[in-house]
Amino acid sequence: MASAADNEPSDESLVSAACAGDDEAFTQLVARHKGRVFRLAARFSRNSLELDDISQDVFIKAYEKLSTFRNDAPFEHWLVRVAVRVCHDALRSRKHEKNHLPLDEHGPELRDRGEEARSEAREAREILAFALERLKPDERLVITLLELEQLTVRETAAVTGWSEANVKVRGFRARQALKRVLEKYDER
Amino acid sequence: MKDKMDERLDQLFAAARNEGLAIPLADDFFETRLLARIKEQRESAQPWYAAAWRLLPAFAAVAAMVTVCTLSFNPSRSSDMFAAITGGQDEVVGMSILTGE
Repeated sequence: MASAADNEPSDESLVSAACAGDDEAFTQLVARHKGRVFRLAARFSRNSLELDDISQDVFIKAYEKLSTFRNDAPFEHWLVRVAVRVCHDALRSRKHEKNHLPLDEHGPELRDRGEEARSEAREAREILAFALERLKPDERLVITLLELEQLTVRETAAVTGWSEANVKVRGFRARQALKRVLEKYDER
Repeated sequence: MKDKMDERLDQLFAAARNEGLAIPLADDFFETRLLARIKEQRESAQPWYAAAWRLLPAFAAVAAMVTVCTLSFNPSRSSDMFAAITGGQDEVVGMSILTGE
């Protein structure tokens, strides 16, 4: 007996249909993969509005480039590459906003939250978010993919388009930068 | 060798991974809004030839520059045929004297 999953069209057939102008097929693709895109975009977003914007940009870019998709790799891998590129662009576009972000910013807020005895995990995430905001876009991208998304060096190289050696170097530098930010944070 | 700060970083990463993310997966209107944006972009997109008229000033500027260069660097042609022929011969004669041919 055929299960419901067997009856569902494959990603590849949906891509072909979407390329031929079938919007319904593209909607199915979005519904199928939006969870993965949301999870990745959430690592780089500051609020739910930004998350929504980045996620929409990812799928719009994917729609525009759909004809370049080759069936030599799963659609999800291709989509993640598009998503990483859009997230990187988003980080770079807001770089000028925080070029000289003072270390004191968010500090009182964090202290208040500490006084409110929030959970340890949440506080850790907030400290990390505070530190990540102070990294360069490249550093933030690579450290997020390696440490939070737990991609391997090879996978990170594949989704960023950088060489594996480059990923290692950037990852090391990002870690050093993160340590410096945390040291300064502790000194306050 | 890992130092204390490395350990702390690893703890922060682990905590951030474990905490999970607040993702609005229940947003049923995401696809609707996305399609609306795509349709809007599709309708506003113009074929390349529709935007060609915008290049008109650039083409006009290039044509003007070519005209000015042509007039400035090319010697004006004489309407006197005899002067034109002898002018050319003067150069040949001068060259023959100099080379001794």
